[in-house]
Amino acid sequence: MPAGAVDLRCNTEELLAILMSREVRDWEISACGAVSMIPAAALLLAEATHAPHAEIIILGSDELSHNLGKDIHFLTQRGQLELFFHSALQFDAEGNFNLHVIGDPNAPDRRLPGGYGSGLMSYMAKRILFFRTEHNPRTFVDKVDFVSGAGVTDERIQRSTEPFKVFTPMAVLRFDRDTARYTLESVHPGFTAEDVQAQTGFPLVVPDPVMVTPAPTDEELSTLRGEVRDRMISTGTYPEWAREVLRAP
Amino acid sequence: MGVPYIPVRGLAGTDVFERRPDMMLAPNPFDPNEVTVVALAQNPDVAILHGLKADREGNAILRRFGEDVMVAQASRRTIVTVEEIVDKVTPEDTSGQFISSINVTAVVHAPMGAYPTAVPGLYNRDDAHIRRYVDASVSDEAFRAYLDEYVLGLTEDQIRNRQALPSAK
Repeated sequence: MPAGAVDLRCNTEELLAILMSREVRDWEISACGAVSMIPAAALLLAEATHAPHAEIIILGSDELSHNLGKDIHFLTQRGQLELFFHSALQFDAEGNFNLHVIGDPNAPDRRLPGGYGSGLMSYMAKRILFFRTEHNPRTFVDKVDFVSGAGVTDERIQRSTEPFKVFTPMAVLRFDRDTARYTLESVHPGFTAEDVQAQTGFPLVVPDPVMVTPAPTDEELSTLRGEVRDRMISTGTYPEWAREVLRAP
Repeated sequence: MGVPYIPVRGLAGTDVFERRPDMMLAPNPFDPNEVTVVALAQNPDVAILHGLKADREGNAILRRFGEDVMVAQASRRTIVTVEEIVDKVTPEDTSGQFISSINVTAVVHAPMGAYPTAVPGLYNRDDAHIRRYVDASVSDEAFRAYLDEYVLGLTEDQIRNRQALPSAK
């Protein structure tokens, strides 16, 4: 259960999957990369609820990956991938994210694999949903240790101009490219704007009043733990994770 | 493709770009309002690809999915290792991806050549062995010991007759 004062009746992974599923639009092409359990659940939940005609691509799935190979790269380069998911180690005040290393890039404390494509996907997918299973000053920093993707670039660089969002156990943040600032889009039930700001290592734009994220509904929870869980298991889409994580406490 | 470089949308402003001498920013010659990253062509000296079967001309059937043919086309020389040598391989063979002999320099008969990874339909990935490989890669000593035990210390026959896990599909 996320550490708010209000019981949302789910764990952090389920909460993030439910909140991100609401962003998936019907009839659009949405995709997530390899090792993306929470986004996979979000996509399947959207398809099972409000987006039955969404075209979904789950690269880490046995049966739902579509075996696209380079086609997913070309689709994205053409600007035709409408939604893509990313996690990151760090996010900073200027909208940069880091999916590569912690510490000095030449002698890193931690190095992660597979951050390369993020500098392509995050520029050319129309909308990006970031997520992180923790919300604290080590994740939301003044300056990232390594820029895997830049929030703002030279105006001659063609890329998506849509704002991107970051989903955490406390809140939803939105980065607007024209103002180059993060705005507190909504706080999850049980948290205040002050709570979120205290755990964020850079100043947020806080609207007044601040929106409260609608809590997971009965339908979302039961569909996620029923139909979506079954579908993940039957299609080879992180079946062990689905068995372990998507279930009533 | 044989092109000297290729434009790519993305990567500008990242530290990946900053650290890559083989990538630069260049104007789009057809649109003065656009600048893109251009990436230098990658042309390996040698590519080694593993496939299902090949004939003596060098025509081969590679794994069904993946960009193996493109890797071969980018490389100066391409060696294809295969599970089986057959009389003739044609593009009509649907068991995998066809690669023409014009892209292949040499063919090597190497049964179990993908081990400890998989050849779908023939044998499965050996996760326990891959974990052993990863553990061994932490130091030169450990990796030397691994090579001695599983590669250098084995005869050709022992390697060809390795026991792999049966294929799931």
